[in-house]
Amino acid sequence: MIEFRDVRKVYPNGTIGLNGINLTIHRGEFVVIVGLSGAGKSTLLRSINRMIDITQGEILIDSKSITRASGRALRHHRRDIGMIFQSFNLVKRMSVLQNVLSGRVAYHPTWRTLLGWYPRQDLEIAFDALRRVNIQEKAFERADQLSGGQQQRVAIARALAQQPKIILADEPVASLDPVTTDMIMKDLKRVNHELGITTVVNLHFVDLARAFADRIIGLRAGEVVFDGPVSLATDDVFEHIYGRALREDERKLEGMSAYGV
Amino acid sequence: MTTPALPKEPGALRRRLRGVLIALFLLLLYGWTLTDLSLNTKGFAQGWIITQNIFKGLFSPEWSYTGEVLLRLFESIEMAFLGTFIAAILAIPFGFWAAARKNRPYALGPLSGKWVLSAIRTFPEIILAVVFIVAVGPGAFAGILALGVHSIGMLGKLYSEAIESIDPGPIEALEAAGANKLQILWYAILPQVLPEFASFAIYRFEINVRAATVLGIVGAGGIGTPLIFALQGYAWSRVGIIMLGIIVTVTIIDGLSGYIRARLV
Repeated sequence: MIEFRDVRKVYPNGTIGLNGINLTIHRGEFVVIVGLSGAGKSTLLRSINRMIDITQGEILIDSKSITRASGRALRHHRRDIGMIFQSFNLVKRMSVLQNVLSGRVAYHPTWRTLLGWYPRQDLEIAFDALRRVNIQEKAFERADQLSGGQQQRVAIARALAQQPKIILADEPVASLDPVTTDMIMKDLKRVNHELGITTVVNLHFVDLARAFADRIIGLRAGEVVFDGPVSLATDDVFEHIYGRALREDERKLEGMSAYGV
Repeated sequence: MTTPALPKEPGALRRRLRGVLIALFLLLLYGWTLTDLSLNTKGFAQGWIITQNIFKGLFSPEWSYTGEVLLRLFESIEMAFLGTFIAAILAIPFGFWAAARKNRPYALGPLSGKWVLSAIRTFPEIILAVVFIVAVGPGAFAGILALGVHSIGMLGKLYSEAIESIDPGPIEALEAAGANKLQILWYAILPQVLPEFASFAIYRFEINVRAATVLGIVGAGGIGTPLIFALQGYAWSRVGIIMLGIIVTVTIIDGLSGYIRARLV
């Protein structure tokens, strides 16, 4: 369970990232955060694994405050949260397997990871993760040999190798084509179902959010302006979140008629 | 039907005028420096004779001296290898010291690193060789130290630039996975920069082979020593075989280095 209590984030240049956020995200939920760029989606997501420090308020994970954790405690906190990025963030010159194994580093003493001496169990975890996103046959290829969609699946496998309780995905499909987008979102959804991992995804496509979310949170200027199940997130709601009428390209992704989860 | 007037490039005349002015300035500078230095043009005649002699030597080399040439060439290559090797490793901490972080390009730490590296580069190998000959005596060791120190200056700078231009994404990913600083260095930074480091080091080895052939002239070991003796003794055939040896060696090393570097990155 993730709880936000009166969370506020002000950047050094005075920009307000988050303002009075109160949220509770339950175990196993698949939450999609929507909003215009600059609305605070990324800030919200990154405050959960403390990649960004908040200015005020408190964030609790399973009733434990993470706001003041530091050093080893902070690293262990991050270890339990997988993160997926828009630009995949793989080391392109390393093999797929090495990239996935790098998700295990926080489980072992530094000297052991520097030697690359992972226990056999870690290899099993890594291959299991690759199998879950159906890319195990690429394990020994260099990451830069893979297509964008394949790289994002490797990134998901790396996050899974952390054996996380939570997965955060920051615009995971923004640099992918519609068909690949569909596959990646299905992968995330499947992992959420099969392993019960709480998943928080930032998206800016309305249809995509509707197709995959259990619950939608709308952000505008750092504040929650909508929070509810998909069934209540009508076009009017989205127009309220976006502060204007929807454009046709925001409503529908070209070439995708139905998602069917 | 009339064709529409093409849009005029703004400031075209001013740019052309500026080009003419720059050309004029360079010409004047050239004329002035040429007349200001009292060049001894009488040396031309003598220089021409020596050039002819060297060419004659190149075409009638003293083949019996080949063994000695190979031995000394090998010494030069060994010096270049050892000098480059220590520099390639010692330049890594310098490179990290001098690499600026993206958000703070003018932080004092990296800036001081850049100053130190450019200070090291100020001294050419040959000057360093003279200094080290005084310090450790003539021979290959002085040459290795000279090559090594100068190479740190260049490799440190190239390394720091490679570090500055890495993809920050993997660092973010490793940090988010709970990695500590050392693990981030190991898993996100080094895999990105090591192939480039190796490529720069091989390139520097190529330069150092050329530099090492010269260092013997001041007494720092290698092929330069017999070369300067042969030149001073007007032994043109010997000069010829030595120069042939240098040309062949440097060409082979350049080719090899280019081949390896093309496959590295």
